[in-house]
Amino acid sequence: MPKVRSRLIVGLLALTLAPFIPNSNTNAQRSAIDTYAITNARIVTVSGPVIERGTVVIRNGLIAAAGANVNAPPDARVIDGNGLTVYPGLIDAYTDLALPEASPAPSPGGGGGFFAAPPPRPVGGPNSTQPVGLQPEVMVEDVIRPGGNEIESARNIGITTALTSPRTGIWMGQSALINLSGDTPQAMIVRSPVAMHVGFTPLRGTYPGSLMGVFATLRQMMLDAQRYRDSMQIYERNPRGIRRPDTDRSLAALVPVIEGRMPVVMLVNSEREITRALDLASEFKLRLIVAGGRESDRVAERLAKQNVPVLLSLNLPRRTTAALPEADPEPLRVLRERVEAQQTAGKLAKAGVRFAFQSGSLTDMSELMVNARRVIENGLPAADAVRAFTIWPAQILGVESQLGSIEAGKIANLTVTRGDLFDRNSRVAHVFIDGRPVDLRPAAGGPSRSSLSGTWIVNVNLGQGDKAITLNLQQEGDRLAGAISGPLGAGEISNASVAGGGEVRFTVVFNVEGQTKEASFAGRLANNEIRGSVTIVGAAPGTFTATRSGQPN
Amino acid sequence: MKRLIARSLLLSMFGMLPVSPARAQRQTSPETLIRNATVLTVTRGTLENTDVLLRNGKIAGVGKNLNASANARIIDGTGKFVMPGIIDCHSHSMLDTINEGTLAVTSMVRTEDVMNPTDVDLYRELAGGVTTLNLLHGSANPIGGLNTVVKIKYGRPASEFLFPGAMPGIKFALGENVKQSSRPNQPGVQRRYPNTRMGVEEVIRDAFTRARDYKRTWDEYRAAAGKNKDLMPPKRDLQLEPLVEILEGKRYVHAHCYIASEILMLINLADEFGFKIKTFQHALEGYKVAKEIAAHGAGASIFADSWGYKIEAYDAIPYNAAIMTRAGVVVSMNSDSDERARRLNIEAAKAMHWGGLTEEQALKLVTLNPAIQLGIQERVGSIEVGKDADIAIWNGHPFSVYSRVDTTFIDGVVYFDRQQDLARRPELAKERAALEQAEPNKPPAQGQSPQRPGRRRPSHEDGIEEEMPR
Repeated sequence: MPKVRSRLIVGLLALTLAPFIPNSNTNAQRSAIDTYAITNARIVTVSGPVIERGTVVIRNGLIAAAGANVNAPPDARVIDGNGLTVYPGLIDAYTDLALPEASPAPSPGGGGGFFAAPPPRPVGGPNSTQPVGLQPEVMVEDVIRPGGNEIESARNIGITTALTSPRTGIWMGQSALINLSGDTPQAMIVRSPVAMHVGFTPLRGTYPGSLMGVFATLRQMMLDAQRYRDSMQIYERNPRGIRRPDTDRSLAALVPVIEGRMPVVMLVNSEREITRALDLASEFKLRLIVAGGRESDRVAERLAKQNVPVLLSLNLPRRTTAALPEADPEPLRVLRERVEAQQTAGKLAKAGVRFAFQSGSLTDMSELMVNARRVIENGLPAADAVRAFTIWPAQILGVESQLGSIEAGKIANLTVTRGDLFDRNSRVAHVFIDGRPVDLRPAAGGPSRSSLSGTWIVNVNLGQGDKAITLNLQQEGDRLAGAISGPLGAGEISNASVAGGGEVRFTVVFNVEGQTKEASFAGRLANNEIRGSVTIVGAAPGTFTATRSGQPN
Repeated sequence: MKRLIARSLLLSMFGMLPVSPARAQRQTSPETLIRNATVLTVTRGTLENTDVLLRNGKIAGVGKNLNASANARIIDGTGKFVMPGIIDCHSHSMLDTINEGTLAVTSMVRTEDVMNPTDVDLYRELAGGVTTLNLLHGSANPIGGLNTVVKIKYGRPASEFLFPGAMPGIKFALGENVKQSSRPNQPGVQRRYPNTRMGVEEVIRDAFTRARDYKRTWDEYRAAAGKNKDLMPPKRDLQLEPLVEILEGKRYVHAHCYIASEILMLINLADEFGFKIKTFQHALEGYKVAKEIAAHGAGASIFADSWGYKIEAYDAIPYNAAIMTRAGVVVSMNSDSDERARRLNIEAAKAMHWGGLTEEQALKLVTLNPAIQLGIQERVGSIEVGKDADIAIWNGHPFSVYSRVDTTFIDGVVYFDRQQDLARRPELAKERAALEQAEPNKPPAQGQSPQRPGRRRPSHEDGIEEEMPR
């Protein structure tokens, strides 16, 4: 009885406060009801066996009970679960959801209005000792914003929770795990900070400007952090007579990292990138989490042995352009890569590597489940696919006592589908986040961001007439990968990045004047064409123009 | 269409061959006996009708009528030539990135961090009888990054490429590339210092002065830290640590240079700080200061006959190798090119034509001499009992343009075999055909290729662009 009364009071409070809470677009009518029961549904608890017919009770934002013999409480709003399957809310283990847009493109109609001018991503910390891109003190928690189309389209496919972090820079900052509803940033956060995020894309026009420099910078800053910690300890023991060390928020933010208290998520995809990340982590005794992980199956043994989990991208590579006769044939390596990427998850599961799924900057979220299905067809047991969306990310991200399964006491994040989650014809019927149903709407429009992915014909002019080379690009968020082939040589691009406003940069190894040289390309994308300059050490600069061979997907 | 098929075949042949059934077997080193070949030992002359025995990754015997154990592989070497694996003292193969050019001193960066063991150039180099590479940072700055000496163990992880016991090294660079003389001034863009050869010298002198101070700071700290545990540790500086190693003689300097004056400048500067330059790379005017290079104890790693590609590369002669060799300089021929690296044998042969080096002297240019320049001469560079079994079998004398490599061994293991390569080509073509049919490799839209947009031309009437009819 006292419990009911207190709930009543909370309810009344909510009602009285309601007018003062700023109305959000997504949750126009907030409901005071906080007790729900989904009855007669199939329940995939993940933590235990599947309950073929049972009831899930939600109360006060938590799962109150779940089982075959559970009855709906009298005060609950009852949802008839006949023909429905209840899953723990799906977790997307790496996104940039809720982060301000990087591109200078203003939002049409001036919507939002939260910040007058959206700050660039990553956001630079005030008074930092480091340039933007090398600021480990950046907290995602400080910059997230509720609402928006991207959050909505993630919820539409059943995602309730997401790890969110910027994808640019080297020390990218500290991520947060957020629920995809809530009217304030504070209400969204489940856990923060979750991990330090590291990327290997060089800075532009300043040190480190190459992959080699990125490694040197990471090493130097971690060494500096060790010294910072030691110096501060010496000073705090007895400050008298010791010159005060300068405070440094960047280095202070790295102390939990080098002490292994905070995991480090590194964005790496190819076998050699993952190997390098593992080596760096061993060198500094870091708690590594691999993100991306396209070829992680090739180092599965080492990942399992060192207990390094993988946030596996479901942004599976695929051919995006039609073949044109003038383009060089695609290298065998590229053809293999696309086929083998579908098999990675299955192989990781077999090898006993812990992993979780992430959307990997998919521009069209509806592809996520299509790709999950593809991964299952290529060897991943369907039950493991469910785990990779639920309990496995919860464990990897340190929230397994709050999320990831349907158990009493856990946060009431639920994804309810008509039909099996991975069935081609299934659809998401209900999504509960923090115990509240979420409005599901048809996705607004298609993918919002244009992609550089595809095959380009690049005309390079180094002062002796044009040479045409073929460039294959894969864009994943702000990251760029790819390869060239043609008369100047063949090989993968490196140091590649794309910034807001379509500024593209990458380097390739060329054969010029009988010498192997590095050519740095810097250009701008406009009207489906990239134009810019080529610089080669010891040679006069040249120009290039890249046009698409075939149409973007 | 035919052309497309031909090209795709070609690509599949030379495209990617790392994942082979041989991959798993390569770690063990089988015993191999090459019988009745002509052996170019480099140090002990040319031996006719001679056997070479490879066992446990080493050269176990060189002589007549050698015996091998029952399960050894026997190769008939009749009419073939056995040569030590070629060593390329200036390579950028397998590096994902070559230059960290943002700063004038980047001794903190390491080529070892960015090695790509799947680079197909490596396979092509094996096919040219090359077994060892000196992976150098580029020439964008006076003091560049750290180099890596590798054996081309194509198909193995990058960590297995590292040449055990090779001397650590670093790349320096002088002249036009460093002062960025071919880069035009851009309004509003600050040029990176230095812009002159004087500035290059100053940058190097400044760096070594800082390195000397750094070493002293640490020496003092270590001496005092025992007594006072409240002493603040100095900063560890990854930029200066390799320079301290140079001062202590623990790291080789490989300096990119062209003209005589800058070679002398660097010799004087090194003498001033008490360290040695191990090699002058390119050194196109080395012949002018050959005595001084020899007196300093430096080597030179050069091109046979490549010059004129920029102002500082004009005063070159093809007799460079011969003149310097006769002056007592240890000379090697390098590639600096993924393409030239496949035919370094011919580069060495040119020194017999230009300047009349002996066959043995010419062979040394791509074998023992680069080994000395990298501090690995006890392991490789000649065919002697006890050295690493890094050798190539050629179907003719390697100084003939008509000769090619049959088999290349590293540590006694086959890393290239021409017959195996030929046998695998149909298999790869089949794989390609199957992969093209796989779902993720299908073009997004079925049917015809999309139409390319027509060319645009400005309309003279109203200045509005309009579509040209196709």
